[in-house]
Amino acid sequence: MTAAALLILSGLTLTAGGAGADEHLLAGAQRFREAHYPEALVEFRVAQRLGSGEAARYAAVTLVKLGRPEEAIEAFGGLAGQEPDALIDYHRAVAAFDARLYLAADRILATVADRAGPRVGAEAARMRAEIAATLKAEPAPAAIDWYLRRCAEQRAQGRAILAAAYCEEAAGLSARRPDHYRRAEALRGAPAAGRGAKP
Amino acid sequence: MTGAILALILGAADPCAPVLPAAVPAPAEAAAYRAAGDEERAAGDREGASFAYRAAAALDPADAASRERLRALCLAPAPRADPFEAGLRRMEAHDWRAAAESFGEARRATGDRSAALLEGICRYNLGEEAEAAPLLRAAEAQPEHRDLARFYLGLVALREGAAPRAAELFAQAAASPELASLASDLSRLARQDSGLVLTLLGETGFDSNVTQAPRNAAAIPGVAGTTSGDGLYGFAGSALYRPLGRDGPFLRASGFARQQLQLGSYDFAGLEAGAGWQATRDGAGAQGGYDFLYRTFGGRPFLAAHRFSAGAWLTAGLTWSARYALQLENYQSSNISGFSGTVHSAELRAALPFGPGGWLAAVYGLTRDAAKLGIASYTEQGPRLELRSVLGPRLRLGASAGLSFRSYDDLDPVLGVRRKDRYLTATLTGEYDLAPGWTARASLQGFRALSSSPAFEYDKLVPTVGVVWQKGL
Repeated sequence: MTAAALLILSGLTLTAGGAGADEHLLAGAQRFREAHYPEALVEFRVAQRLGSGEAARYAAVTLVKLGRPEEAIEAFGGLAGQEPDALIDYHRAVAAFDARLYLAADRILATVADRAGPRVGAEAARMRAEIAATLKAEPAPAAIDWYLRRCAEQRAQGRAILAAAYCEEAAGLSARRPDHYRRAEALRGAPAAGRGAKP
Repeated sequence: MTGAILALILGAADPCAPVLPAAVPAPAEAAAYRAAGDEERAAGDREGASFAYRAAAALDPADAASRERLRALCLAPAPRADPFEAGLRRMEAHDWRAAAESFGEARRATGDRSAALLEGICRYNLGEEAEAAPLLRAAEAQPEHRDLARFYLGLVALREGAAPRAAELFAQAAASPELASLASDLSRLARQDSGLVLTLLGETGFDSNVTQAPRNAAAIPGVAGTTSGDGLYGFAGSALYRPLGRDGPFLRASGFARQQLQLGSYDFAGLEAGAGWQATRDGAGAQGGYDFLYRTFGGRPFLAAHRFSAGAWLTAGLTWSARYALQLENYQSSNISGFSGTVHSAELRAALPFGPGGWLAAVYGLTRDAAKLGIASYTEQGPRLELRSVLGPRLRLGASAGLSFRSYDDLDPVLGVRRKDRYLTATLTGEYDLAPGWTARASLQGFRALSSSPAFEYDKLVPTVGVVWQKGL
């Protein structure tokens, strides 16, 4: 995954923000290449504040590298839709996967395989196989309870994007059960999921 | 190029060294750094926050807030400065909770995948699989941590009841020489722990004494011939279905056929089918079930039986287990119908684990066969030792040796004695994993019967080689 992320950050195009923003974007890329992720994240956030439109995505990728998937999902602006860049989408899927949002990860990965190179495509296929194995059995009520609890916790903290993502996952899992366990409750919490506007 | 130059300057600096002002102040950029620093400080990323505050202070000499926050970070208690080391100390002390928190702090501060791996292991040990899995997956991305991360992801999967995925992860983790033995073994066990487990065996070999001819047959009147060795081949298969996983109901079925190359009247085959229930909790468990058995001998109906069984086990240092079975037997041929009756068998076992996947067990068994005929009824008891050792990533060795004493109820009027037999048994088995799910097996069984009646004293050796295929679904 490091190589894939480097590909993203090596291919930065300095067109989105002002000159100051571009410098910080480059500095972030340099830090990222050196695996100095905390500093890379700061640089991308500075670039974002100085007007770079792309910086938020790179910050999100860096958050994935830092093992902070929930913050990454927020930085990506949610898990809905499709990014123009397949590598960014791949990292969105990794963030979703690491946050145990398997249905969302699988949906994103399904769009990655045809757009990415062979290496990322193969990794995406491997992840999808793992997700398929994970989701093979009928979801247990306890699993759906866990997602709804995460949804409520995130909502209480004002993290609407994450709350919606967890509720949507719960709704998706519930749909795989004949009794649609707590599905209505999950759908009530999910309206913003995936439809959340990018920041 | 303010950002890039700052990055180069600050990258080499001690995060708590005095901040040198930049040649050209840039208050707007400083504000952006300060905001980023605040964000990282709130997220617990000490390293990122320090970097951001230093940049802000360098770019804006008037930025007292960033200097103050940087100073506060630098003055933070020492343990916070090295949470990874603290985590290691706490992990060695098996204080999983405190260790996980320290590694979490280290991970958030540096993004270190080693910290993610160790935090994941601690979370697994705490039973927090949901928290452990993403950490282990983050560590999996780092080549040097991949195998151990996959090993623990396998354990997480196993605990979550996803045995096939666990088997796959263990098989991948077996690429590491340090983990190979344990991971291979767990991969095999995980396959056996799946919802539906299918096993097939094909084997061939030689039985040195198919007819159980007496050792000194020539000296015994009426016993003809001493040559009874014959080649053999056989097949066996079994299916175990556990719709709710390890705990809950199960259905099982099995069959076998062992054919002699020349002595076809000694061909032996059987079918079994049954159902039961198993419950496990914290190293203990219990199982009960019913099976119907059917056997043919020499191609003709031989035995039909109903078997009711129950067992329980508990791990407390040693693994203790006990089982009991009641078998209601009905021999199918009229000339041996006197052997029909009730068989009770019980066994007590204590196993001592050693090394990765190995154990040594002491077993004591007791059997009571209450047949219709007194001369066919007996009580048998005796000890047995069992050893299982993992010799390599793919190689396992099993051995057992037992001695049992059988005493028949009534005097046999034909023999003129009441039979008292002793049986010595020994088995040596080697298994080699050819590929995931495929195992080559070689076995040597030895058997010696000693009896108060010379006609029932015999020896036999049965070497076999075979291939086992097993699939967990």
